[in-house]
Amino acid sequence: MGISRRRFLASAAAVGAASVTGGVFAPAIAQNTPLKVGLLAPRAGIAAAPGVNGIRATQWAVERFNKEGGIGGRKVELVIEEESSPKDTIERFSKLVQQEKVDCVQGIVSSGVGLALGPAAEEARALTIYWDGTTQDGVVEKMPNPRYLFRSTDNECEAVMSSLLTVKHWKGKFVTVAGINPDYSYGRNNMAAFIAVLKRFGIEHKVVTEQWPKVGTMDLTSHVAALKAAKPDLIFSSLLFADLPVFMKQAHAAGLTEGTKLVFPAAGWQHTLMKKEFTPEGMLFGHNTLYFANPNASPLAKEFVSWYEKTHKDYPEWEADRAYFAIASYKAAVEKAMKAKGGKWPSQDDVIDAMVGLEVESLGGKGSWRKDHIADQTFTQGFTTHKNSYDFVTLGTFESMFSTSLQKPPGADFWEWIKTAKFDI
Amino acid sequence: MKMSSSAWVAIAGTAALAALPFVVPPYYVGLMIPFFGYAIALLGFNLLFGYTGQLSFGHAMFLGVGAYGAAIIAGVWGIKSFEVVLLGVMIGAAIIALPIGLLCMRYIGIFFGMLTLAFGMLFHSFLFKFYHLTGGDSGMRVPRMNILGLEFTKYNKVELLAGPFYYYCLALLVIAGLVMWRIVHSPFGLHLKTIRDNARKAEYLGVHVHRFRLAAFVISAVFGAAGGAILGFRIGLADPELVYWTQSGQLVFMAVLGGFTNFFGPIVGALTYTLLQDQLQSLTEYWRFILGAILALIVIGVPEGIAGLAANIGRRFNGKTA
Amino acid sequence: MSAFANIVAGGVFHAAVLFLVAAGLQLVFGVQKIVNLACGSFYALGAYFGIIFIGYANELGVSPWLILPGLIVSGILLGFIGPPIERMLRTVYGRDESFQLLLTFALVLMFQDVFKFVWGANPRSLDSTYLIYGTISAGDFSIPVYNLLVILAAVAIAAGLGGFLKGTNYGRILRATAENRAMSEALGVDVRRIYSIVFTLGAVLGTTAGALVVPTAAASLDMAIEFVIEAFAVVVIGGLGSMRGALAGALIVGLIRALSIVYFPELEVLAIYMIVIAVLLLRPVGLFGRAVA
Repeated sequence: MGISRRRFLASAAAVGAASVTGGVFAPAIAQNTPLKVGLLAPRAGIAAAPGVNGIRATQWAVERFNKEGGIGGRKVELVIEEESSPKDTIERFSKLVQQEKVDCVQGIVSSGVGLALGPAAEEARALTIYWDGTTQDGVVEKMPNPRYLFRSTDNECEAVMSSLLTVKHWKGKFVTVAGINPDYSYGRNNMAAFIAVLKRFGIEHKVVTEQWPKVGTMDLTSHVAALKAAKPDLIFSSLLFADLPVFMKQAHAAGLTEGTKLVFPAAGWQHTLMKKEFTPEGMLFGHNTLYFANPNASPLAKEFVSWYEKTHKDYPEWEADRAYFAIASYKAAVEKAMKAKGGKWPSQDDVIDAMVGLEVESLGGKGSWRKDHIADQTFTQGFTTHKNSYDFVTLGTFESMFSTSLQKPPGADFWEWIKTAKFDI
Repeated sequence: MKMSSSAWVAIAGTAALAALPFVVPPYYVGLMIPFFGYAIALLGFNLLFGYTGQLSFGHAMFLGVGAYGAAIIAGVWGIKSFEVVLLGVMIGAAIIALPIGLLCMRYIGIFFGMLTLAFGMLFHSFLFKFYHLTGGDSGMRVPRMNILGLEFTKYNKVELLAGPFYYYCLALLVIAGLVMWRIVHSPFGLHLKTIRDNARKAEYLGVHVHRFRLAAFVISAVFGAAGGAILGFRIGLADPELVYWTQSGQLVFMAVLGGFTNFFGPIVGALTYTLLQDQLQSLTEYWRFILGAILALIVIGVPEGIAGLAANIGRRFNGKTA
Repeated sequence: MSAFANIVAGGVFHAAVLFLVAAGLQLVFGVQKIVNLACGSFYALGAYFGIIFIGYANELGVSPWLILPGLIVSGILLGFIGPPIERMLRTVYGRDESFQLLLTFALVLMFQDVFKFVWGANPRSLDSTYLIYGTISAGDFSIPVYNLLVILAAVAIAAGLGGFLKGTNYGRILRATAENRAMSEALGVDVRRIYSIVFTLGAVLGTTAGALVVPTAAASLDMAIEFVIEAFAVVVIGGLGSMRGALAGALIVGLIRALSIVYFPELEVLAIYMIVIAVLLLRPVGLFGRAVA
């Protein structure tokens, strides 16, 4: 009878997936054809701003790489699709992998979408590098050992770093604590991480109020009123969307920002909107993996920032670094694998094996890939200052920490790790 | 045996869909799975909209019932049979639709639309807020299920979706279509049309208008949940965004695009919209604008939708007056 | 005590903005029987445009004291979009009201990309110039004078609208057209012009609300579709088509939300839906709505 129908169907469907692994036909044609990289990033809605940051950074990087011959001698072509809801993003991912036959998919900002896409990427056996969105997902990591998926540093790294810096600089200087965090898993985990770190260091504290505004809500006057009524010594907030500068403005108008210690691990996402007139100095402000005005930045980073400023009249935030890290480490992995094969084009498996343990100089500092396919990157946070030439706050004194000190090791439970880890402050 | 044109359309459509995986690239085969889900949900939606005249702007909530139901039955309770899941979510949808329907049945037109929008968003907020139960923004995982008791372990998910599950969904659509056809052509269906055309007159004739509307609402919910279960299986996740009010708007868009006065309209609408959105998204980042413009043009210029237009052309072709 | 006062002040401010948009919705629905899903889009348009307008005014050296009237002017200027959109809606007037709802939904979709295209992905905001009017404080209670002025402006507009509709001839004509279009037409009313004017007025109420709120908040891409829900809750609670309903509904939604944030934070958003359902169970047409067959 020839091929059974089941096998025919199976192979018909699998052709898309198989070609991605660089199967039988790949090597011969590969080296003369462009290398296709698919980008999946938000381009509308509340996450559009970071999505655009990431896309621009990737485009800049690809342009530079192509000027010097591309990746492994092949020019890079970007195929950009939009990340929106989990359902639609999985369809766009399938299009990139099955129809466009990209060699690698990079992107993803939202944790919900990342969770849905992870199993799909593994099933499709398509090398995928997430920019962002790695959550604790309850207590147990739902995907402990992915093969094809590489994920960003934990979402809570910045909260852990802020907590450690709070302990280091403000221990004994506050008692009552208030939180105002976006009402979804990211906000909840960040606040819980902060409290857990305080407890672990035996810092005496009393949580006087916890505000959970709906994600992206623009009217925060009631939240500000509630915070004022509670009179906290310290406010912890992982607000990071358009609601962040709105909160700052409304808090300033209500007199909340004076005399209160402010710990804002994710404020860097909206840094250009944190205007000096309502954002105080001395606030603990996190820029995650890219502080655009870092005087210790590499020449490459400085070049990127000035290019971004000239071309887009804006200053990049950390999603740009996450995107750069993805494409730069992909390039490094491909070229490392190629070298190991004596110049022959590597298969997807070769690239994956080469990525593990790889270290790359990203825009915000050193970055590397762990055995469990989670990234390690450099985080920068510090205290705000008005002494700059911009109309928004930048950092006066600041510190950079590598995420090996900020995220749980492979296989560990996040909350257990906080209780027992050796923190270096 | 002389067959009606509708029967020919149905047979031709089914045959075309059955042949699709052999003709079309694998990505498009995968794209058909959400189409099947939406088509089934829309068959139910149109019973309410096209046949009963009630526009619900919260219908996506039943898609959510289907997806979350699948997550609970197959995920939390571990019963990995898609048939059990289908049955379960359909019953669940009926139970949820009953009180909501009772509340909303007194209203018609705009009021009904706004009420259903409110209920849909209430469900969305519930899914988001009660995260201990529902997973909040992270949603709930929908695990891989057995279809007809078969595991198909040799297929990975991509192959499963483009192969056995595709035909399974096609069969479900055919069954749903047959059931809906019977409903629409039964006395019950005729009552609905009478109510749509002139509710007061129907009341005078002794028709319990509210009861019929409620029944139509519940049936539409059941179909919606079935579609939602298919979506849940495909995505592997049930998340709150499935239920946001703009998703309900999208359902209405599909129904109107296809033509809500025609039985096949919703199916045509689901297919057209799915393909349209796919092509537009690859074309431009401003795809929402184009879709909005298309919706406006359809509403203004071609309110009978694609199927309606085709039916009119067909009628003229056959020499009958339009 | 002052904490309570702060909360109430915040709730009333939010209610003032909600009222403006709801009044626009009610007006358009009352006269034309159109429910405008794009009311949120008008609100967002007002916010974005307000920022541009004030920025431009600043460049021209206009005094920062004029920021409040400036924002109102920017909202009114946007009225120019009213007639063409109403013209488009008019093409489906004779048909089922679902079509109009759908057409406004099409507008929502189109506006989303217009905002992105014109103003980009980053949220936009104004600086704190609005604080130039000062802040009123009494102990721990404080409210920016700007917020008070916005509340007063909303009250003035409410009174003005009420007076206009009840007291003037034109207002009476509007109400007559709302009651019975055919009769009005038979009596010589140019219904088409009325519809155009009413829709524009409704749009202006929405855009002005957005412009007025933007100094204390920001303009962002999703604000249009998020806002529709609250506006609809106000209108359902107050009763479709009723101005008094818009006022009552706005106050209820604004205050309940503010109070629940402070005293029942677990509920917050759900509190509003619960009120919607409660009103529907107890008084289905809304507080001030009229019975519909």
